[in-house]
Amino acid sequence: MTTNESPTQVTDTDVDVADPILSVRNTSVTFDMERGASRVLDGVNMDIERKEILGIVGESGSGKSMFASALLDAVVDPGVIDGSITYHPTPEESVDILGLSTRELKKYRWAEISMVFQGAMSSFNPTMNMRGHFEETIDAHNENYEEGMARARELLSDLYLDPDRVLDAHPHELSGGMKQRALIALSMVLQPKVLVMDEPTAALDLLMQRSILQLLHEIKEKYEITLIFITHDLPLVAELADRLAVMYAFEFIEVAPAEEILQNASHPYTRSLLNATPNMSTPIEEMRPISGSAPDPVDVPEGCSYHPRCPLATEQCREVDPDYHSVRHDHEAKCFHWEQAADAIPFTLPQQPGDSHSDADSDAGAGTGVNN
Amino acid sequence: MVSTQYFIKRTAMAVVTFFVVISLTFAMIRLMPGGPLDYIQSQMAAAGQAPGEIAAEVERFSSINPQEPLWQQYLTYMANTLQGNLGESMWYNDPVAEILGNAMPWTIFVSIISMILIYLIGISMGAFMAYVEGSRFDVSWSTVSILLTSVPFYVIAVVLLWYLGYNLEWFPTSGHYGRGVEEGFNWEFISSVMHHGALPIASLTLAGFGATALAMRGNAIQILGEDYLRVARLRALSQRRIALRYVARNAVLPMYTSMMISLGSLFGSSIILEQIFQYPGVGYFMYRAISARDYPLMMGTFLFITAGVIIGVYIADLTYGYVDPRAGSGDREAF
Repeated sequence: MTTNESPTQVTDTDVDVADPILSVRNTSVTFDMERGASRVLDGVNMDIERKEILGIVGESGSGKSMFASALLDAVVDPGVIDGSITYHPTPEESVDILGLSTRELKKYRWAEISMVFQGAMSSFNPTMNMRGHFEETIDAHNENYEEGMARARELLSDLYLDPDRVLDAHPHELSGGMKQRALIALSMVLQPKVLVMDEPTAALDLLMQRSILQLLHEIKEKYEITLIFITHDLPLVAELADRLAVMYAFEFIEVAPAEEILQNASHPYTRSLLNATPNMSTPIEEMRPISGSAPDPVDVPEGCSYHPRCPLATEQCREVDPDYHSVRHDHEAKCFHWEQAADAIPFTLPQQPGDSHSDADSDAGAGTGVNN
Repeated sequence: MVSTQYFIKRTAMAVVTFFVVISLTFAMIRLMPGGPLDYIQSQMAAAGQAPGEIAAEVERFSSINPQEPLWQQYLTYMANTLQGNLGESMWYNDPVAEILGNAMPWTIFVSIISMILIYLIGISMGAFMAYVEGSRFDVSWSTVSILLTSVPFYVIAVVLLWYLGYNLEWFPTSGHYGRGVEEGFNWEFISSVMHHGALPIASLTLAGFGATALAMRGNAIQILGEDYLRVARLRALSQRRIALRYVARNAVLPMYTSMMISLGSLFGSSIILEQIFQYPGVGYFMYRAISARDYPLMMGTFLFITAGVIIGVYIADLTYGYVDPRAGSGDREAF
């Protein structure tokens, strides 16, 4: 299964957790295109702890959604997935997801691991009412109808929706926020253990985003699920997630507890990303876009994939792909210069005023690709 | 799902459209230079009849008395038309309403069966083509569909008539049922009607289903790429349910209105079709009326065809709410 990945990288990653519900090992997704193989997920390793909230952050086209699809073995054609993804329904059991037959996969998806897509607006059949969506889902998995519908009603109420009204409504009769919540309810109607949410708040206004996050937190506590939350909005997910994983160029470049990332991000990209994220309370002058553009999946740069855009890049970065360096126990950064990153790229977070304000005015070449 | 208000509005619109059509028909008859009235009058005058007699004769044929003032002519014509008095055919010397009454069921029979077949074949073919998009089946049937669509139905009709009718003598070449067959609900009559109707129906269907298949293929391919289809697959819904309840249902929606309107264009096709097959329906009589300058009959058939379109659209409007919950009546509040 290990293709052209250096084997050291696998062993060097310290992404293991004590009780993983999902372990992803050396998983790649490739699309054969005319100009070459497009590797949109590149030998990724990740463990997802039981009942944690894992936030996955990255810019558009960094492979976040691919990772989400891979977890359900639902990569769209003609994508090819290889590597291994193991699901542990209990700490003792393990299921090889990529080896499941189509029938087993049908039982696994939605019932064990469920998914909320980006664009809840278009996730419902426009010619069917919401009750129909719940009923057919319960029916397709041969669940007890009464219990299933009772659960659906409870979930809808938990999400502050009126079950009677919503179930009788057609999708076009619900607002965006209601559809989003209804979709969350639909994704949990079969009591999955893991819920993957791919940009669930992308199409919602700021207020709705906040309340959905709040609801997710409540739901997660009540139903004891593991939540994987994928977004490009780092500050947003930082409030919700226990652990954050930052993706760049189709792999994870930094993994750490949420608080740790906000206080002590050690990868230059993560730091620049924090600077680049627009926020209501950040003055526009302090926002710094990351110059350059995201790498092409057909032609990822040699060495560290971030080197063309990184202010700290050296000869070493251009030639050798860095391993994960342990910043602290449970904090990994895939960078040679993780120790210098904090000084080179200062960032301010609106939540922590004065955190690194002292050097905020010294430009220090933040985010400007000086090496390129 | 259809509110009273919506129903009233649509009904009123249909009635108003029909009135406008009758008025236009009147205007066409009355105002066209060298139009039907002049034609009838000059024929009578040439025969040396007195003006008063001519006026009476003209009224008998066209329900319009040329000696009355225009507004009164209009009212009389309108009243007569609404009562079903469409004047009298000059060629057959029978009331137009009677001729149409006899012919109408046959045209409706051929048109509706053709429409059902066109959409049944077109939709299933198109959906299947979309499912196997890019395969050999898809490519070859797309080509066949484009070919069939570009061949006019009357060419297909002539070919079928020549080959299956005259050469192989499998099908009769004229009439709507065999000579000597007694009209009624018996097998002999029904099978004879089917036998006579087969070729006209086949020509319309062959020429028509291609366009429907291509439209359905396009719609279905688009639906297959929708987010809700991906979600449906992940939810492990059965193939059958996804195909029927998700793809077919949503892909057919945009075609529903055009299906209803197509009934009108099929009525229109009957003019040439029934001439080719010597099938005495409305189109057959319209063709006769045109060649014989039988204006009253022409106007009657014209009214019939427009009425067909209006009724088709009216039914489509009323039922669309049931097919697409989003259209409905517009009075259901989004909350």
